[in-house]
Amino acid sequence: MAKKVKAVVRVQIEAGKASPAPPIGPALAAHGINLMAFCKEYNARTSSRMGDILPAEITIYTDGSFTFVLKSPPAAVLLKKAAGVEKGSSEPNREKVGSVTQEQVREIAEIKMKDLNANDIEGAMRQIEGTALNMGILVGEELPQEVESESDD
Amino acid sequence: MADPAWLEVSLSVDGELAEAVAEVLARFVQGGIVIENEPILENNATNSGSTHQSPALRVYGYLKADEGLDETRLRLEESLWHLGQIQPLPKPIFKHIPEVDWMEAWKQHYHPIEIGARFLILPAWLKPPKNNKRHAIIIEPGMAFGTGTHPSTQLCIELAEKHIKSGDLIMDIGCGSGILSICAAKLGAGKIIAVDKDPLAVSLAQKNAEINNVTPNIEFGVSSIAEILAGDYSFRQAPIVMANILASVLIQLLNEGLRGLVSSEGVLILSGILEAQEPELKDILEEKRMEIEHRRQIDDWVAYAVVKAA
Repeated sequence: MAKKVKAVVRVQIEAGKASPAPPIGPALAAHGINLMAFCKEYNARTSSRMGDILPAEITIYTDGSFTFVLKSPPAAVLLKKAAGVEKGSSEPNREKVGSVTQEQVREIAEIKMKDLNANDIEGAMRQIEGTALNMGILVGEELPQEVESESDD
Repeated sequence: MADPAWLEVSLSVDGELAEAVAEVLARFVQGGIVIENEPILENNATNSGSTHQSPALRVYGYLKADEGLDETRLRLEESLWHLGQIQPLPKPIFKHIPEVDWMEAWKQHYHPIEIGARFLILPAWLKPPKNNKRHAIIIEPGMAFGTGTHPSTQLCIELAEKHIKSGDLIMDIGCGSGILSICAAKLGAGKIIAVDKDPLAVSLAQKNAEINNVTPNIEFGVSSIAEILAGDYSFRQAPIVMANILASVLIQLLNEGLRGLVSSEGVLILSGILEAQEPELKDILEEKRMEIEHRRQIDDWVAYAVVKAA
């Protein structure tokens, strides 16, 4: 007998740091999920990867029970790491903050492949490129170097 | 009425945009992001006939309502506006929410849970439904590992239902909240030994056994298996031995002589194993001359019913 799925909720939080405060509290309490049980288990399963953002995809059944699986870090997080930037551009349409190579996009696509809704690696790469564009990260081209004020002596 | 303590921000977007929106929100919000989607039920064709593979997602974040809120909100809206210049975005929806004791709030939305073929697990604050034909087991959720909602507990109960016969002696190693021993008692088991190394778990299990009127059947103790093997309890072997813990602990227990607790025709029920940990467990079972008779799985959790190899 398969149980009926009521909702699928994905939380993107830092490994080992789940707590009943927002966003977990309001997002999961409404589904009648035992918050402490979730937080304890998430923290136990992720404690070896402190510092990483590790999404958990929680499947909530109509009977109030739930299960969850850990997912690969968000593409945005992997892109920031690859580009060596702390955050995406606040004006991605105008200001570019970094760049990644096609090769890096392929690596990220390979990591994310099982979590993406893509038919093949090319499809996954296009999705990653889309995310990069939305963050002001260039793909396959160098970031135009700003003219530095300092000069060689 | 408490002041609003949080400002919830949410946007409905399609799959591709969700990551970018989440990335923008993550710069401003506390704690992280939540993305919720309508479940896509396979085998559950809708009438729309749509095969569109990009379900609507709702991205949520929470801003702390402190003196910096107005400015944060402004910067957040600005960032979303810029993102909207690349791809059209719906307007964010803002909602004030009060500070709530979330540890308590979920209880209002909690429902009894049907486990296996014969059990209904419910908290003390709920009454069993009128037409309930299942064994009602009262467990206070949120107290310790083993509230019945966990897949490893469900798997264990399903295997226990299959193997426990009336009058059987039972051992529950790492009993936690005591849920497995209580279920075993309700299934008509004879004497049950329930042990846990954690004194808190044992006292909770005792309390739960009392609430569920099965105390006379269960012999509790703060210990592991060495004490049972040494004869500190009323029996040393049982036809049903259950251990619902974690793979690493199961391996340790097998090395410490878990096999010795199982009577010659008996069954050892092992649960709390992640799919990825199976090879390790299979190796040690082979080494200890034990064979998997049944294997059950829910999501990435696996449980075995194991017998002694001929």
